[in-house]
Amino acid sequence: MGKYLVKRLAASLLTAFLASMLVFLLVRLVPGDVVAQMMGQAGGETAANALREFFGLDQPIYMQYLAWLMKVLQGDLGVSWTRGMPVTTMIGQAFLVTLEIGLLTLLVATIIGVPLGILAGIYEGRPLDTAIQSFNILGLAAPVFWVGLMLLVAVSSLFSWSPPLRYVPPTRSLGDNLAILALPILSLGLLQVAAYSQFVRQNVVSALHQEYVRTAIAKGVPVRIIFFKHILRNVLIPIITFMGLILIQILGGVVIIESLFALPGLGRLLLTAIETRDYPVLQGALLIVVVAAMVVNLLVDLAYRLIDPRVRVS
Amino acid sequence: MLCALPALPAFAQSEGLYGPVAENAVRGGRLNMGLLVEPPGLDPFHQAADARIRITVLVYQGLFYESPSGEAVPLLAESYEVSDDNLVYTIKLRQGVKFHNGAEMTAEDVAYSYNYIRNPENGSPGAGDFSMISDIKAVDPTTVEITLSEPNASLPMTLGNKYGAVVPAGYFDDEAAKNLMNSESVGTGPFKLVEFVPNSHIVLDRNEDYWEEGAPYLDGIDFAILPNSASMLVALRNQRVDLVALTRPQDVQQVQQVEGLEIERWPSLGQASVDLGSETKPLDDVRVRQAISLAVDKEEVMKASIGDFGQVLGTIPAGLQERWGLPLDQVPMQGPDIEAAKKLLEEAGLGNGFTLTLTTINGYDWMDPAAVTLREQLAKIGVTVDIQRVDLGVWINNFRSSQMGFTFNDWASQPDPNLLFYRHFHKKPEGADFRNWNNDEASALLDEGRATSNPEERREIYNKFQTILAETVPTIMLFSPDHITVRSQRVQNYVQHPTGWYYGLARAYLSD
Amino acid sequence: MAQYQNVATPENGSRKEPHLQPLLLRMARREPGLLLGLVLLVFIFLVALFPGLFTQASPYAVDVNAAMMPPSAGHWFGTDDTGRDLFARVVYGTRITLAICGGSLLISAFFGGLLGLVSGFLGGWVDQALGRLVDVLLSFPPIILGVIITGVLGPATVNLILALSIVYVPVFFRIARAGTLSEKDKTYVEAARSIGISEPTILRRHVTRNVMPLILTQYMILFPLILQIQAALGFLGLGVQPPTPDWGAILEQGKDYILYAPWMSLFPGLAVLLAALSLMLVGRALQRRIDQR
Repeated sequence: MGKYLVKRLAASLLTAFLASMLVFLLVRLVPGDVVAQMMGQAGGETAANALREFFGLDQPIYMQYLAWLMKVLQGDLGVSWTRGMPVTTMIGQAFLVTLEIGLLTLLVATIIGVPLGILAGIYEGRPLDTAIQSFNILGLAAPVFWVGLMLLVAVSSLFSWSPPLRYVPPTRSLGDNLAILALPILSLGLLQVAAYSQFVRQNVVSALHQEYVRTAIAKGVPVRIIFFKHILRNVLIPIITFMGLILIQILGGVVIIESLFALPGLGRLLLTAIETRDYPVLQGALLIVVVAAMVVNLLVDLAYRLIDPRVRVS
Repeated sequence: MLCALPALPAFAQSEGLYGPVAENAVRGGRLNMGLLVEPPGLDPFHQAADARIRITVLVYQGLFYESPSGEAVPLLAESYEVSDDNLVYTIKLRQGVKFHNGAEMTAEDVAYSYNYIRNPENGSPGAGDFSMISDIKAVDPTTVEITLSEPNASLPMTLGNKYGAVVPAGYFDDEAAKNLMNSESVGTGPFKLVEFVPNSHIVLDRNEDYWEEGAPYLDGIDFAILPNSASMLVALRNQRVDLVALTRPQDVQQVQQVEGLEIERWPSLGQASVDLGSETKPLDDVRVRQAISLAVDKEEVMKASIGDFGQVLGTIPAGLQERWGLPLDQVPMQGPDIEAAKKLLEEAGLGNGFTLTLTTINGYDWMDPAAVTLREQLAKIGVTVDIQRVDLGVWINNFRSSQMGFTFNDWASQPDPNLLFYRHFHKKPEGADFRNWNNDEASALLDEGRATSNPEERREIYNKFQTILAETVPTIMLFSPDHITVRSQRVQNYVQHPTGWYYGLARAYLSD
Repeated sequence: MAQYQNVATPENGSRKEPHLQPLLLRMARREPGLLLGLVLLVFIFLVALFPGLFTQASPYAVDVNAAMMPPSAGHWFGTDDTGRDLFARVVYGTRITLAICGGSLLISAFFGGLLGLVSGFLGGWVDQALGRLVDVLLSFPPIILGVIITGVLGPATVNLILALSIVYVPVFFRIARAGTLSEKDKTYVEAARSIGISEPTILRRHVTRNVMPLILTQYMILFPLILQIQAALGFLGLGVQPPTPDWGAILEQGKDYILYAPWMSLFPGLAVLLAALSLMLVGRALQRRIDQR
């Protein structure tokens, strides 16, 4: 296990390193840097060059990369070029917001999606199954941001209510915090509930079709026992794997939901950083996204191994 | 002998500053303002973006205030005198002004701040505006002397609040200071910065030591940053914000029916225009540019872009028209006149039409509908328009390297014709001549206008300039979108400045 | 082989059946989802191929005086902010949207598939290097990858296609590689090798043919997802150039008028939903058959 972990970690680190290089190159290939934006239509060349020098943009790209990498290895992601704040602080604040959205969405998706999936699986082929499946496929097909937009309008016109404007962390006021996050989580959640329940249903169905389950049913073993002993156990592992997948998906979906609902999360930080060509923030935020996705994958993998000892280190 | 320009009496001055003084203002309360565009930073020295200026005018102050009518009203200055040769300005400073850090403002600070910004090595986009200054020195703690290399009537306006500000001497000695102005407040303005959380909010508190008696009225302002107008309008409707300056006038329609919201329209100094860079064939031929100008129906473009919430322009933004503009009925080459346009194209040997790429900028909402409309209009004279949308950074790069081609533009200046025209249209190297217009006659007029201080003569000169501008078409000014503010009824006495900057917040108050 | 092809394009099956009616009936009973999906898909393709049949209006004609009209008999979906007929824009947008998504996905299927085949077949350092590259791409959530690429390259149709193509290359790569690995040691490949058929030929003739169905199924499964990513990028303003009536672009224009003219967002969103729905229904049926084998 320990050896496997080390190997996995090393591979992940290498991937993160390569990803950072890719991002670093990509953002610098584009015309129009932060200095151009700061100068607007007014600035002169001397002033622009002075600023480029200040940001280190006059250096060759590989030198810029090395300098950045050195700092990253010391845990320093640099200072934002447009905000003047340490990138770690900015990402820290933003990441907490995104993490909260992600975890709450995951919670909602699990609480609603898993029972729905189990119900649909047990009643395979019956009207209830059809109804749940229809809901699932609609939820999967509807664009997340569009659902959010429609929710916003519906809630605003029906109840004359809209979320508070400024994000409040749950530690300051849980009520306000939830009021702000309710709509975003609902719109992200619809998709994930659908995905979850669809996935769980498949696993329940396939478990029900297993030979030993059929035998057990035929032998008249109580349904409760079959359910807890055979089905739930069979479904648990895939559910955990799927949680990881969903978390990563939420991490992506959050970009657009955060910009729709004006939440100061990682996704929006990323978008503004692209717009303003704030390279340190962009590089830092992407690095965190990549690392977060890797950590989730790793955790899923480990959980998988812990629950099911049959999966041996390859 | 010095010819003295009398300072305005103190009372009139404070009335002119920022907006009308309220008769029976209520003190206290915090105002929630919605921001549709997040400022890319709050540094008045190194950031050119308009979204930055809108807010920093409340925190930082220059020597003069640019009044809506185009006067430079003394702000941190108290009065000034100009030498006979119009080259030396002796500026008396206001006394008892304190920085947000508690230190007293002196002539040293003023000289330091303006010397910092005018040195291009320090990387300020505003440096170019100050290039006519050859020396700034503190004569005594309350007097600053500014020497020019040549006469320039718009110096006081240049010392306004767009670029730079008075900050404590030596502030930028620390290299890191270039990055600190988003978290620190070192100005002299009516409000001080408390917090700026990117993508979320900006908090300003009242400056308790502010030098104007009784101002400002508000305890503070909370700016909520909401980047899309849909969410903003929902928030307005549900009273989550008290005040918003809309970036798209047509959004008014969406809140017009809502009770308790007051909608106001204000003239603006901004302009939506089409630029025609002469480096792009066949725009190098003046007849082609004239044909395009004649083919454009500005009214229709405006209607498609912003509805009726703006004013169609001749050769100068709406806010400057009355004082400096060429009368609209005297502007040559105005369309739509398809026949005349076609004739010009035929003369230019392009009777069979040609293809042009029109550049629009990502994020400027009016440009998309305007582009679609312009495309249809130019099709009538056989010009095929391809639309290309680019990111702001890319666009600015093209613009600054004078490779703009055929593009929409959206810009504004302080209310002064020299600051508006000189840099954009004077030939190189004195001006930037972004459109490769290279017009000697117009450049000579710009030089003359800058050196002339008599308002009547100045107007005459700029009228001549505008005639040439309209005749040879380096740009087609389309319309000025009105500033539209939507406020809840409890917001009182907010006046929107024509620049779009939020000066009015220094005079606004909340009724109970 | 033949059966595989049937699976890949289920419509083909109908030609071999002597009676269409019983087939449809049977399908309606056994797989109503597939039937619904197919009907919708055929309809959508008809709209994409012959937009002129469905509307007389032009998707480009601006009429400033008829801006933001609500849905009516004259304008089924209402009009947008420049007075263009939204029904016409959604109808004409079908082809553009499907072409961009389908085309991008085809590009990624081609390159991802090809690289996967080569990687799986050659193994060794090529496999290692390509695997690492794919890992790097996979480490970004798909939509974030799309946002970075279009955000960085700037909004343009070409860049959008490029971004969308890259997003799913890793998925096709993995499918093709896994398929190749499992095929390459099979007896028929060994046999071909032993009678002296060259490696490239084996790769082309045998392995490719057996991996193809996997890729096709994956294509169908990813299509609705890429449709949503494309709409999302369009919504963020990273999509096609105006005045092209792509669904994502229409949604982006509509979002600012959501209170005043909700139809500007409602209908293009529904179009995305319907297209994704039909593709999902068909894709799932395909997947089921593959799984059953």
